[in-house]
Amino acid sequence: MPWQAEIDELHRRRALAEACGGPEAVARHHAQGKLTVRERINALVDAGTFREVGKLAGKGTYDSGGQLTGFEPAPYVMGIAKINGRPLAIGGEDYTIRAGTGFGSDRRKGGQGGFIEDLAFQYRIPLVNLIDGTGGSVNTAKRKGYTVVPGYGQDGMERSADLLGVVPVVSAVMGTTAGGPAMRAILSHWSIMVKGTGHLFAAGPPVVERAFGQRLSKEDLGGTAVAVDRAGTIDNVASSEADCFAQIRRFMSYMPQNVWNLPPQLDVGDPVDRCEGALASIVPRADRQAYNMRTLLGMIVDRDSWFEIQPGFGRAIITALARLNGKVVGIIASNPMVGGIMDVKAARKQGHFTELCDMFNIPLLLFADVPGLMVGLESEAAAILREGVRARFIGFQVSVPVITVIIRKCYGVAGGGFTDRGGLNFKIAWPSAQWGSLPVEGGVKAAYKREIASAPDPVARECELEAELRALASPFRTAEAFAVEDIIDPRETRPYLCQFIDACQDRLATQLGPKLRAGVRP
Amino acid sequence: MARIEVKSEITGTVWQIKMQAGDTVASGDTLIVIESMKMEIPVIAEDGGTLVEILVQEKDPVAEGQVVAILEE
Repeated sequence: MPWQAEIDELHRRRALAEACGGPEAVARHHAQGKLTVRERINALVDAGTFREVGKLAGKGTYDSGGQLTGFEPAPYVMGIAKINGRPLAIGGEDYTIRAGTGFGSDRRKGGQGGFIEDLAFQYRIPLVNLIDGTGGSVNTAKRKGYTVVPGYGQDGMERSADLLGVVPVVSAVMGTTAGGPAMRAILSHWSIMVKGTGHLFAAGPPVVERAFGQRLSKEDLGGTAVAVDRAGTIDNVASSEADCFAQIRRFMSYMPQNVWNLPPQLDVGDPVDRCEGALASIVPRADRQAYNMRTLLGMIVDRDSWFEIQPGFGRAIITALARLNGKVVGIIASNPMVGGIMDVKAARKQGHFTELCDMFNIPLLLFADVPGLMVGLESEAAAILREGVRARFIGFQVSVPVITVIIRKCYGVAGGGFTDRGGLNFKIAWPSAQWGSLPVEGGVKAAYKREIASAPDPVARECELEAELRALASPFRTAEAFAVEDIIDPRETRPYLCQFIDACQDRLATQLGPKLRAGVRP
Repeated sequence: MARIEVKSEITGTVWQIKMQAGDTVASGDTLIVIESMKMEIPVIAEDGGTLVEILVQEKDPVAEGQVVAILEE
Protein backbone atom coordinates (compact mmCIF):
# COMPACT_ATOMS: atom_id res chain seq x y z
CA MET A 1 0.00 0.00 0.00
CA PRO A 2 1.80 3.11 -1.22
CA TRP A 3 -0.11 5.45 1.12
CA GLN A 4 0.14 3.43 4.31
CA ALA A 5 2.06 6.12 6.21
CA GLU A 6 -0.44 8.83 5.33
CA ILE A 7 -3.41 6.61 6.14
CA ASP A 8 -1.83 5.80 9.51
CA GLU A 9 -1.30 9.52 10.09
CA LEU A 10 -4.96 10.20 9.29
CA HIS A 11 -6.12 7.65 11.87
CA ARG A 12 -3.66 8.97 14.42
CA ARG A 13 -5.00 12.50 13.95
CA ARG A 14 -8.58 11.30 14.23
CA ALA A 15 -7.73 9.60 17.53
CA LEU A 16 -6.18 12.84 18.78
CA ALA A 17 -9.39 14.71 17.92
CA GLU A 18 -11.49 12.16 19.77
CA ALA A 19 -9.56 12.83 22.95
CA CYS A 20 -11.33 16.25 23.13
CA GLY A 21 -9.51 18.51 25.61
CA GLY A 22 -7.54 15.58 27.11
CA PRO A 23 -8.31 13.16 29.95
CA GLU A 24 -8.12 15.76 32.75
CA ALA A 25 -10.44 18.26 31.05
CA VAL A 26 -12.87 15.49 30.15
CA ALA A 27 -12.86 14.19 33.75
CA ARG A 28 -13.60 17.70 35.06
CA HIS A 29 -16.43 18.01 32.55
CA HIS A 30 -17.90 14.62 33.55
CA ALA A 31 -17.63 15.54 37.24
CA GLN A 32 -20.09 18.39 36.59
CA GLY A 33 -22.61 15.87 35.31
CA LYS A 34 -21.99 16.83 31.68
CA LEU A 35 -21.24 14.59 28.70
CA THR A 36 -18.65 15.64 26.11
CA VAL A 37 -20.00 16.97 22.82
CA ARG A 38 -19.06 13.69 21.11
CA GLU A 39 -20.91 11.66 23.72
CA ARG A 40 -23.89 14.00 23.41
CA ILE A 41 -24.16 13.69 19.65
CA ASN A 42 -23.98 9.90 19.82
CA ALA A 43 -26.57 9.77 22.61
CA LEU A 44 -28.96 11.98 20.65
CA VAL A 45 -28.89 10.62 17.10
CA ASP A 46 -29.87 7.20 15.70
CA ALA A 47 -27.10 4.73 16.64
CA GLY A 48 -24.14 4.68 14.29
CA THR A 49 -25.41 7.46 12.01
CA PHE A 50 -23.07 10.35 12.94
CA ARG A 51 -20.76 11.22 10.04
CA GLU A 52 -18.35 13.88 11.24
CA VAL A 53 -16.99 16.65 9.03
CA GLY A 54 -13.82 18.59 9.86
CA LYS A 55 -12.46 16.24 12.49
CA LEU A 56 -8.88 17.15 11.55
CA ALA A 57 -9.38 20.87 12.13
CA GLY A 58 -7.42 22.34 15.02
CA LYS A 59 -3.96 23.53 15.90
CA GLY A 60 -0.98 21.25 15.42
CA THR A 61 2.47 21.82 16.84
CA TYR A 62 5.49 20.48 15.00
CA ASP A 63 9.13 19.73 15.67
CA SER A 64 11.92 21.07 13.46
CA GLY A 65 11.62 18.01 11.27
CA GLY A 66 7.97 18.78 10.53
CA GLN A 67 6.62 15.94 12.70
CA LEU A 68 3.39 16.53 14.62
CA THR A 69 4.17 16.75 18.34
CA GLY A 70 0.87 18.01 19.70
CA PHE A 71 -2.68 18.72 18.58
CA GLU A 72 -5.52 20.82 20.00
CA PRO A 73 -8.78 20.00 18.19
CA ALA A 74 -11.07 22.81 17.06
CA PRO A 75 -13.56 23.32 19.92
CA TYR A 76 -16.55 22.58 17.71
CA VAL A 77 -17.74 19.14 16.57
CA MET A 78 -20.22 18.77 13.72
CA GLY A 79 -21.53 16.61 10.91
CA ILE A 80 -24.66 14.93 9.66
CA ALA A 81 -26.65 12.14 11.29
CA LYS A 82 -30.19 10.81 11.50
CA ILE A 83 -32.96 11.24 14.04
CA ASN A 84 -36.03 9.00 13.70
CA GLY A 85 -34.49 7.78 10.42
CA ARG A 86 -34.36 11.25 8.83
CA PRO A 87 -31.15 13.18 8.05
CA LEU A 88 -30.18 16.31 9.95
CA ALA A 89 -27.20 18.58 10.52
CA ILE A 90 -25.81 18.68 14.04
CA GLY A 91 -23.04 20.45 15.90
CA GLY A 92 -21.91 21.60 19.29
CA GLU A 93 -19.09 23.35 21.13
CA ASP A 94 -16.49 21.23 22.87
CA TYR A 95 -16.38 22.86 26.29
CA THR A 96 -13.33 20.78 27.29
CA ILE A 97 -11.23 22.84 24.87
CA ARG A 98 -10.84 26.45 25.99
CA ALA A 99 -14.49 26.52 27.15
CA GLY A 100 -15.73 26.09 23.59
CA THR A 101 -14.51 29.46 22.30
CA GLY A 102 -13.53 29.98 18.64
CA PHE A 103 -10.28 28.68 17.17
CA GLY A 104 -9.65 31.42 14.66
CA SER A 105 -9.84 29.53 11.35
CA ASP A 106 -10.79 31.37 8.16
CA ARG A 107 -13.92 29.27 7.90
CA ARG A 108 -16.00 28.43 10.96
CA LYS A 109 -17.16 24.86 11.51
CA GLY A 110 -20.41 26.06 13.05
CA GLY A 111 -21.97 27.50 16.16
CA GLN A 112 -22.54 30.99 14.81
CA GLY A 113 -22.95 30.45 11.13
CA GLY A 114 -20.21 28.28 9.59
CA PHE A 115 -20.10 25.10 7.54
CA ILE A 116 -22.79 23.11 9.34
CA GLU A 117 -25.32 25.94 9.16
CA ASP A 118 -24.51 26.45 5.47
CA LEU A 119 -25.01 22.71 4.97
CA ALA A 120 -28.42 22.72 6.68
CA PHE A 121 -29.39 25.67 4.45
CA GLN A 122 -28.07 24.19 1.19
CA TYR A 123 -29.35 20.63 1.80
CA ARG A 124 -32.59 21.88 3.39
CA ILE A 125 -32.34 19.57 6.39
CA PRO A 126 -33.01 20.41 10.07
CA LEU A 127 -30.24 21.73 12.32
CA VAL A 128 -29.65 20.86 15.97
CA ASN A 129 -27.26 23.04 18.01
CA LEU A 130 -25.91 21.55 21.24
CA ILE A 131 -24.73 24.74 22.89
CA ASP A 132 -22.03 24.73 25.53
CA GLY A 133 -19.80 27.70 24.81
CA THR A 134 -19.08 31.02 26.40
CA GLY A 135 -18.64 33.05 23.22
CA GLY A 136 -16.10 35.78 22.64
CA SER A 137 -13.08 36.30 24.81
CA VAL A 138 -10.90 39.35 25.35
CA ASN A 139 -8.03 37.06 24.40
CA THR A 140 -9.11 37.32 20.75
CA ALA A 141 -7.54 40.79 20.70
CA LYS A 142 -4.21 39.28 21.79
CA ARG A 143 -4.34 36.72 19.00
CA LYS A 144 -5.40 39.18 16.29
CA GLY A 145 -3.55 42.26 17.47
CA TYR A 146 -6.71 44.36 17.14
CA THR A 147 -10.28 44.38 18.40
CA VAL A 148 -13.28 43.75 16.17
CA VAL A 149 -16.62 45.52 15.79
CA PRO A 150 -19.44 43.10 16.72
CA GLY A 151 -20.98 41.75 13.53
CA TYR A 152 -17.77 42.33 11.53
CA GLY A 153 -16.39 39.67 9.20
CA GLN A 154 -17.47 36.18 10.13
CA ASP A 155 -20.51 37.06 12.14
CA GLY A 156 -22.56 34.21 10.72
CA MET A 157 -25.80 35.16 12.47
CA GLU A 158 -27.34 36.16 9.14
CA ARG A 159 -27.21 32.49 8.11
CA SER A 160 -28.78 31.51 11.43
CA ALA A 161 -31.57 33.97 10.66
CA ASP A 162 -32.01 32.62 7.07
CA LEU A 163 -32.45 29.11 8.45
CA LEU A 164 -35.51 30.14 10.47
CA GLY A 165 -37.47 30.51 7.24
CA VAL A 166 -36.55 27.16 5.66
CA VAL A 167 -35.70 24.29 8.03
CA PRO A 168 -36.48 23.40 11.66
CA VAL A 169 -33.75 24.65 14.01
CA VAL A 170 -33.40 23.35 17.56
CA SER A 171 -31.07 24.73 20.24
CA ALA A 172 -30.17 22.96 23.46
CA VAL A 173 -28.50 25.03 26.19
CA MET A 174 -26.26 22.48 27.89
CA GLY A 175 -23.80 24.66 29.75
CA THR A 176 -23.18 28.24 30.83
CA THR A 177 -23.96 30.33 27.76
CA ALA A 178 -23.53 34.02 27.07
CA GLY A 179 -22.76 36.31 24.14
CA GLY A 180 -22.79 34.82 20.63
CA PRO A 181 -23.79 31.28 21.63
CA ALA A 182 -26.67 32.74 23.69
CA MET A 183 -27.84 34.61 20.60
CA ARG A 184 -27.52 31.40 18.61
CA ALA A 185 -29.71 29.62 21.18
CA ILE A 186 -32.52 32.11 20.64
CA LEU A 187 -32.31 32.02 16.83
CA SER A 188 -34.17 28.72 16.80
CA HIS A 189 -37.70 27.38 16.38
CA TRP A 190 -37.56 25.54 19.65
CA SER A 191 -35.06 25.57 22.50
CA ILE A 192 -34.44 23.56 25.64
CA MET A 193 -32.21 24.01 28.70
CA VAL A 194 -30.79 21.35 31.00
CA LYS A 195 -31.75 22.12 34.59
CA GLY A 196 -28.79 22.69 36.89
CA THR A 197 -26.05 22.76 34.23
CA GLY A 198 -27.61 25.04 31.61
CA HIS A 199 -27.50 28.82 32.11
CA LEU A 200 -28.14 31.68 29.72
CA PHE A 201 -27.55 35.39 30.16
CA ALA A 202 -26.50 38.55 28.37
CA ALA A 203 -23.57 38.67 30.80
CA GLY A 204 -22.60 36.47 33.71
CA PRO A 205 -22.39 37.10 37.48
CA PRO A 206 -18.95 38.88 37.50
CA VAL A 207 -20.17 41.51 35.00
CA VAL A 208 -23.42 41.97 36.94
CA GLU A 209 -21.53 42.41 40.19
CA ARG A 210 -19.31 45.08 38.64
CA ALA A 211 -22.31 46.92 37.19
CA PHE A 212 -24.73 46.77 40.09
CA GLY A 213 -22.81 45.42 43.05
CA GLN A 214 -25.32 42.60 43.10
CA ARG A 215 -24.01 39.13 43.85
CA LEU A 216 -25.91 36.37 42.11
CA SER A 217 -25.11 32.77 41.29
CA LYS A 218 -25.25 31.56 37.70
CA GLU A 219 -28.40 29.64 38.62
CA ASP A 220 -30.06 32.76 40.13
CA LEU A 221 -29.21 34.85 37.09
CA GLY A 222 -29.77 32.51 34.17
CA GLY A 223 -30.95 29.09 35.33
CA THR A 224 -34.20 27.52 34.14
CA ALA A 225 -36.30 29.38 36.75
CA VAL A 226 -35.35 32.68 35.08
CA ALA A 227 -34.51 31.88 31.43
CA VAL A 228 -37.39 29.45 30.90
CA ASP A 229 -40.19 30.02 33.42
CA ARG A 230 -39.94 33.77 34.01
CA ALA A 231 -38.46 35.10 30.78
CA GLY A 232 -39.57 32.50 28.22
CA THR A 233 -36.23 33.10 26.47
CA ILE A 234 -35.77 29.33 26.28
CA ASP A 235 -38.84 27.16 25.70
CA ASN A 236 -38.59 23.91 27.65
CA VAL A 237 -36.71 22.43 30.63
CA ALA A 238 -34.88 19.10 30.59
CA SER A 239 -34.30 17.33 33.91
CA SER A 240 -31.06 15.76 32.62
CA GLU A 241 -29.00 15.49 29.43
CA ALA A 242 -30.75 12.18 28.65
CA ASP A 243 -34.14 13.89 29.04
CA CYS A 244 -32.89 16.72 26.81
CA PHE A 245 -32.08 14.27 23.99
CA ALA A 246 -35.42 12.47 24.40
CA GLN A 247 -37.27 15.80 24.12
CA ILE A 248 -35.28 16.88 21.03
CA ARG A 249 -36.10 13.58 19.31
CA ARG A 250 -39.72 14.07 20.29
CA PHE A 251 -39.89 17.65 18.96
CA MET A 252 -38.25 16.57 15.70
CA SER A 253 -40.90 13.85 15.24
CA TYR A 254 -43.51 16.59 14.58
CA MET A 255 -41.37 18.64 12.22
CA PRO A 256 -41.12 18.38 8.44
CA GLN A 257 -37.59 18.26 6.97
CA ASN A 258 -38.13 21.75 5.57
CA VAL A 259 -40.89 24.15 4.50
CA TRP A 260 -41.28 22.33 1.17
CA ASN A 261 -42.38 19.12 2.92
CA LEU A 262 -45.33 18.24 5.13
CA PRO A 263 -44.79 17.06 8.72
CA PRO A 264 -44.53 13.27 9.06
CA GLN A 265 -47.68 11.29 9.82
CA LEU A 266 -47.63 8.63 12.51
CA ASP A 267 -50.52 6.23 12.97
CA VAL A 268 -50.63 4.90 16.53
CA GLY A 269 -53.83 2.96 15.97
CA ASP A 270 -55.98 5.23 18.13
CA PRO A 271 -59.53 4.95 16.69
CA VAL A 272 -60.84 8.13 15.09
CA ASP A 273 -64.31 7.49 16.53
CA ARG A 274 -63.09 7.21 20.13
CA CYS A 275 -65.60 9.33 22.09
CA GLU A 276 -64.68 9.83 25.75
CA GLY A 277 -67.76 9.98 27.98
CA ALA A 278 -65.95 12.14 30.56
CA LEU A 279 -65.84 15.06 28.09
CA ALA A 280 -69.57 15.60 28.65
CA SER A 281 -69.01 16.42 32.33
CA ILE A 282 -65.51 17.92 32.53
CA VAL A 283 -66.67 21.56 32.38
CA PRO A 284 -68.37 22.55 35.66
CA ARG A 285 -71.76 24.27 35.39
CA ALA A 286 -70.57 27.02 37.74
CA ASP A 287 -68.42 29.18 35.50
CA ARG A 288 -66.32 30.32 38.47
CA GLN A 289 -64.98 26.80 38.79
CA ALA A 290 -61.85 25.76 36.95
CA TYR A 291 -61.18 22.43 35.21
CA ASN A 292 -58.10 20.83 33.75
CA MET A 293 -57.75 21.76 30.08
CA ARG A 294 -54.78 19.37 29.64
CA THR A 295 -56.94 16.44 30.78
CA LEU A 296 -59.68 17.59 28.40
CA LEU A 297 -57.31 17.82 25.41
CA GLY A 298 -55.63 14.52 26.32
CA MET A 299 -58.97 12.81 25.73
CA ILE A 300 -59.25 14.30 22.23
CA VAL A 301 -55.81 13.95 20.59
CA ASP A 302 -54.15 10.69 19.50
CA ARG A 303 -52.90 8.58 22.38
CA ASP A 304 -49.37 9.59 23.56
CA SER A 305 -49.14 12.33 20.94
CA TRP A 306 -49.08 15.35 23.32
CA PHE A 307 -45.92 17.49 23.43
CA GLU A 308 -46.16 20.82 25.20
CA ILE A 309 -44.09 23.83 24.13
CA GLN A 310 -43.26 26.37 26.87
CA PRO A 311 -45.26 24.63 29.62
CA GLY A 312 -43.86 26.87 32.37
CA PHE A 313 -44.11 30.31 30.69
CA GLY A 314 -47.22 32.38 29.98
CA ARG A 315 -49.32 29.74 31.66
CA ALA A 316 -52.69 31.35 30.83
CA ILE A 317 -52.22 29.71 27.42
CA ILE A 318 -51.29 26.10 26.70
CA THR A 319 -49.40 25.48 23.44
CA ALA A 320 -48.74 21.93 22.28
CA LEU A 321 -47.96 19.82 19.27
CA ALA A 322 -50.10 16.70 18.97
CA ARG A 323 -51.66 14.42 16.38
CA LEU A 324 -55.19 13.72 15.18
CA ASN A 325 -55.60 10.53 13.15
CA GLY A 326 -51.82 10.58 12.76
CA LYS A 327 -51.57 14.12 11.35
CA VAL A 328 -49.65 16.81 13.22
CA VAL A 329 -51.71 19.65 14.69
CA GLY A 330 -50.76 22.70 16.74
CA ILE A 331 -52.96 23.32 19.78
CA ILE A 332 -53.49 26.67 21.47
CA ALA A 333 -55.78 26.42 24.48
CA SER A 334 -56.81 28.62 27.38
CA ASN A 335 -55.75 27.38 30.79
CA PRO A 336 -58.64 27.91 33.24
CA MET A 337 -56.49 26.56 36.10
CA VAL A 338 -54.70 29.90 36.13
CA GLY A 339 -57.76 31.93 35.16
CA GLY A 340 -57.21 31.75 31.39
CA ILE A 341 -56.84 35.53 31.17
CA MET A 342 -54.47 36.64 28.41
CA ASP A 343 -51.47 38.46 29.90
CA VAL A 344 -48.40 39.78 28.05
CA LYS A 345 -46.51 36.53 28.43
CA ALA A 346 -49.39 34.40 27.19
CA ALA A 347 -49.82 36.76 24.22
CA ARG A 348 -46.13 36.44 23.29
CA LYS A 349 -46.38 32.67 23.62
CA GLN A 350 -49.49 32.47 21.43
CA GLY A 351 -47.94 34.66 18.71
CA HIS A 352 -44.71 32.66 18.58
CA PHE A 353 -46.46 29.30 18.48
CA THR A 354 -48.87 30.47 15.78
CA GLU A 355 -45.92 31.51 13.63
CA LEU A 356 -44.08 28.22 14.24
CA CYS A 357 -47.09 26.17 13.10
CA ASP A 358 -47.73 28.41 10.12
CA MET A 359 -44.11 28.18 8.97
CA PHE A 360 -44.17 24.36 8.94
CA ASN A 361 -47.71 23.90 7.58
CA ILE A 362 -49.20 22.57 10.80
CA PRO A 363 -52.95 23.33 11.07
CA LEU A 364 -54.04 25.08 14.24
CA LEU A 365 -56.73 24.08 16.71
CA LEU A 366 -57.78 26.79 19.16
CA PHE A 367 -59.64 25.77 22.32
CA ALA A 368 -61.13 28.85 23.94
CA ASP A 369 -62.01 29.57 27.54
CA VAL A 370 -60.76 33.12 27.69
CA PRO A 371 -62.45 35.86 29.75
CA GLY A 372 -60.35 38.59 28.08
CA LEU A 373 -57.08 40.48 28.27
CA MET A 374 -55.51 41.01 31.69
CA VAL A 375 -56.74 44.30 33.14
CA GLY A 376 -55.10 46.63 35.66
CA LEU A 377 -52.24 49.09 35.86
CA GLU A 378 -49.48 46.49 35.94
CA SER A 379 -50.81 44.81 32.82
CA GLU A 380 -51.36 48.10 30.96
CA ALA A 381 -47.83 49.22 31.85
CA ALA A 382 -46.48 45.91 30.54
CA ALA A 383 -48.14 46.75 27.16
CA ILE A 384 -50.95 44.20 27.23
CA LEU A 385 -52.70 45.91 24.33
CA ARG A 386 -49.62 45.97 22.13
CA GLU A 387 -48.71 42.36 22.96
CA GLY A 388 -52.32 41.21 22.64
CA VAL A 389 -52.79 42.97 19.31
CA ARG A 390 -49.44 41.66 18.03
CA ALA A 391 -50.66 38.12 18.72
CA ARG A 392 -53.83 38.97 16.78
CA PHE A 393 -51.77 40.46 13.91
CA ILE A 394 -49.73 37.26 13.62
CA GLY A 395 -53.01 35.35 13.63
CA PHE A 396 -54.36 37.47 10.75
CA GLN A 397 -51.41 36.42 8.58
CA VAL A 398 -51.54 32.64 9.00
CA SER A 399 -52.00 30.53 5.90
CA VAL A 400 -52.73 27.19 7.58
CA PRO A 401 -56.29 26.03 8.26
CA VAL A 402 -57.53 27.02 11.72
CA ILE A 403 -60.44 25.50 13.64
CA THR A 404 -61.83 27.11 16.79
CA VAL A 405 -63.49 25.06 19.51
CA ILE A 406 -65.19 27.28 22.08
CA ILE A 407 -65.25 25.29 25.31
CA ARG A 408 -66.53 28.00 27.64
CA LYS A 409 -65.76 31.71 27.60
CA CYS A 410 -64.74 33.63 24.51
CA TYR A 411 -64.73 37.37 25.16
CA GLY A 412 -63.28 40.53 23.73
CA VAL A 413 -59.97 41.20 21.99
CA ALA A 414 -58.40 38.06 23.46
CA GLY A 415 -61.43 35.96 22.45
CA GLY A 416 -61.13 37.24 18.88
CA GLY A 417 -57.58 35.87 18.92
CA PHE A 418 -59.11 32.40 19.11
CA THR A 419 -60.84 32.78 15.75
CA ASP A 420 -59.43 32.57 12.24
CA ARG A 421 -59.82 35.97 10.60
CA GLY A 422 -57.56 35.21 7.64
CA GLY A 423 -59.25 32.04 6.44
CA LEU A 424 -62.51 30.12 6.79
CA ASN A 425 -63.45 31.55 10.20
CA PHE A 426 -64.68 28.11 11.25
CA LYS A 427 -65.91 27.94 14.84
CA ILE A 428 -67.58 25.10 16.67
CA ALA A 429 -68.77 25.28 20.25
CA TRP A 430 -69.60 23.03 23.16
CA PRO A 431 -72.99 23.56 24.85
CA SER A 432 -71.07 25.15 27.75
CA ALA A 433 -69.89 28.00 25.52
CA GLN A 434 -70.63 31.70 26.08
CA TRP A 435 -69.27 34.69 24.21
CA GLY A 436 -69.55 38.36 23.46
CA SER A 437 -67.70 41.65 23.59
CA LEU A 438 -67.63 41.39 27.35
CA PRO A 439 -69.41 39.26 29.99
CA VAL A 440 -72.98 40.29 30.90
CA GLU A 441 -71.96 40.91 34.52
CA GLY A 442 -70.27 44.29 34.63
CA GLY A 443 -71.15 44.88 30.98
CA VAL A 444 -74.72 45.72 31.97
CA LYS A 445 -73.55 48.24 34.53
CA ALA A 446 -71.52 50.05 31.89
CA ALA A 447 -74.04 49.98 29.03
CA TYR A 448 -77.20 50.81 31.02
CA LYS A 449 -75.68 53.17 33.58
CA ARG A 450 -78.30 55.92 33.26
CA GLU A 451 -81.25 53.53 33.04
CA ILE A 452 -80.16 51.65 36.18
CA ALA A 453 -79.50 54.84 38.11
CA SER A 454 -82.91 56.34 37.30
CA ALA A 455 -84.89 53.15 38.11
CA PRO A 456 -86.96 53.13 41.34
CA ASP A 457 -84.99 50.04 42.46
CA PRO A 458 -81.61 50.20 40.69
CA VAL A 459 -80.42 46.80 41.97
CA ALA A 460 -83.59 45.06 40.79
CA ARG A 461 -83.37 46.81 37.39
CA GLU A 462 -79.77 45.68 36.96
CA CYS A 463 -80.75 42.06 37.73
CA GLU A 464 -83.65 42.30 35.27
CA LEU A 465 -81.43 43.62 32.50
CA GLU A 466 -78.82 40.93 33.20
CA ALA A 467 -81.47 38.18 33.03
CA GLU A 468 -82.81 39.61 29.76
CA LEU A 469 -79.39 39.65 28.16
CA ARG A 470 -78.40 36.28 29.56
CA ALA A 471 -81.40 34.67 27.86
CA LEU A 472 -80.11 36.03 24.55
CA ALA A 473 -76.64 34.62 25.29
CA SER A 474 -77.68 30.98 24.74
CA PRO A 475 -75.26 29.48 22.19
CA PHE A 476 -78.24 27.88 20.44
CA ARG A 477 -79.51 31.32 19.40
CA THR A 478 -76.14 32.08 17.83
CA ALA A 479 -76.20 28.68 16.05
CA GLU A 480 -79.70 29.47 14.70
CA ALA A 481 -78.25 32.61 13.14
CA PHE A 482 -75.31 30.52 11.80
CA ALA A 483 -73.03 32.95 13.65
CA VAL A 484 -71.30 29.91 15.10
CA GLU A 485 -70.98 27.13 12.54
CA ASP A 486 -71.85 24.25 14.89
CA ILE A 487 -72.54 23.22 18.44
CA ILE A 488 -71.28 19.72 19.10
CA ASP A 489 -71.66 17.12 21.81
CA PRO A 490 -68.30 17.33 23.62
CA ARG A 491 -67.87 13.59 23.16
CA GLU A 492 -67.91 14.03 19.36
CA THR A 493 -64.95 16.44 19.41
CA ARG A 494 -62.30 13.90 18.41
CA PRO A 495 -64.10 12.33 15.40
CA TYR A 496 -65.29 15.79 14.27
CA LEU A 497 -61.81 17.35 14.33
CA CYS A 498 -60.10 14.27 12.89
CA GLN A 499 -62.31 14.43 9.81
CA PHE A 500 -61.60 18.11 9.17
CA ILE A 501 -57.87 17.69 9.76
CA ASP A 502 -57.89 14.80 7.25
CA ALA A 503 -59.82 16.95 4.79
CA CYS A 504 -57.39 19.89 4.92
CA GLN A 505 -54.30 17.85 3.99
CA ASP A 506 -54.68 18.62 0.27
CA ARG A 507 -54.76 22.31 1.07
CA LEU A 508 -51.55 21.98 3.07
CA ALA A 509 -49.85 19.97 0.30
CA THR A 510 -50.55 22.73 -2.22
CA GLN A 511 -49.20 25.67 -0.22
CA LEU A 512 -45.68 24.46 0.57
CA GLY A 513 -42.61 26.66 0.44
CA PRO A 514 -41.17 29.67 2.27
CA LYS A 515 -43.64 32.20 3.64
CA LEU A 516 -42.71 35.80 3.24
CA ARG A 517 -44.43 38.32 5.43
CA ALA A 518 -45.36 41.84 4.51
CA GLY A 519 -46.12 44.68 6.89
CA VAL A 520 -44.87 46.04 10.17
CA ARG A 521 -45.89 44.11 13.24
CA PRO A 522 -47.56 46.29 15.83
CA MET B 1 -41.24 8.80 53.94
CA ALA B 2 -40.92 11.41 51.25
CA ARG B 3 -42.06 14.90 52.13
CA ILE B 4 -43.96 16.58 49.32
CA GLU B 5 -44.52 20.33 49.12
CA VAL B 6 -47.79 21.30 47.46
CA LYS B 7 -47.69 24.72 45.80
CA SER B 8 -50.34 27.17 44.65
CA GLU B 9 -50.43 27.60 40.85
CA ILE B 10 -51.65 31.15 41.19
CA THR B 11 -51.68 34.34 43.25
CA GLY B 12 -54.97 34.87 45.07
CA THR B 13 -56.82 34.40 48.34
CA VAL B 14 -57.58 31.16 50.15
CA TRP B 15 -61.29 30.52 49.58
CA GLN B 16 -61.83 27.10 51.15
CA ILE B 17 -59.75 24.49 52.96
CA LYS B 18 -61.05 21.13 51.77
CA MET B 19 -58.95 18.70 53.82
CA GLN B 20 -57.32 18.47 57.23
CA ALA B 21 -54.01 17.27 58.67
CA GLY B 22 -54.05 13.49 59.01
CA ASP B 23 -56.38 12.95 56.03
CA THR B 24 -55.43 10.38 53.43
CA VAL B 25 -55.02 12.08 50.07
CA ALA B 26 -55.29 10.47 46.64
CA SER B 27 -53.67 11.85 43.50
CA GLY B 28 -56.05 14.42 41.98
CA ASP B 29 -57.75 15.36 45.27
CA THR B 30 -58.47 19.03 45.86
CA LEU B 31 -56.77 20.22 49.09
CA ILE B 32 -57.52 23.93 48.97
CA VAL B 33 -59.49 26.26 46.73
CA ILE B 34 -57.88 29.60 45.88
CA GLU B 35 -59.97 32.51 44.70
CA SER B 36 -58.23 34.50 42.01
CA MET B 37 -59.50 36.72 39.22
CA LYS B 38 -63.10 35.83 40.17
CA MET B 39 -62.32 32.14 39.61
CA GLU B 40 -62.14 29.22 42.05
CA ILE B 41 -58.81 27.54 41.37
CA PRO B 42 -58.24 24.20 43.08
CA VAL B 43 -54.87 23.26 44.60
CA ILE B 44 -54.65 19.61 43.60
CA ALA B 45 -52.40 16.91 45.07
CA GLU B 46 -50.32 15.43 42.27
CA ASP B 47 -49.28 12.47 44.41
CA GLY B 48 -51.19 10.52 47.02
CA GLY B 49 -50.17 10.34 50.69
CA THR B 50 -51.03 11.64 54.12
CA LEU B 51 -51.71 15.32 54.64
CA VAL B 52 -49.20 16.52 57.24
CA GLU B 53 -50.08 20.17 57.39
CA ILE B 54 -52.05 22.92 55.67
CA LEU B 55 -49.90 26.04 55.89
CA VAL B 56 -52.59 28.63 55.13
CA GLN B 57 -55.96 29.67 56.53
CA GLU B 58 -59.12 30.81 54.81
CA LYS B 59 -58.85 34.41 53.52
CA ASP B 60 -55.02 34.32 53.60
CA PRO B 61 -53.33 35.83 50.55
CA VAL B 62 -51.13 33.35 48.64
CA ALA B 63 -48.50 33.94 45.98
CA GLU B 64 -47.83 31.88 42.87
CA GLY B 65 -45.49 29.02 43.76
CA GLN B 66 -46.09 29.41 47.52
CA VAL B 67 -46.04 26.15 49.46
CA VAL B 68 -49.54 25.78 50.93
CA ALA B 69 -49.55 22.18 52.18
CA ILE B 70 -47.19 19.36 53.10
CA LEU B 71 -47.87 15.75 52.21
CA GLU B 72 -46.03 12.65 53.26
CA GLU B 73 -45.87 9.80 50.80
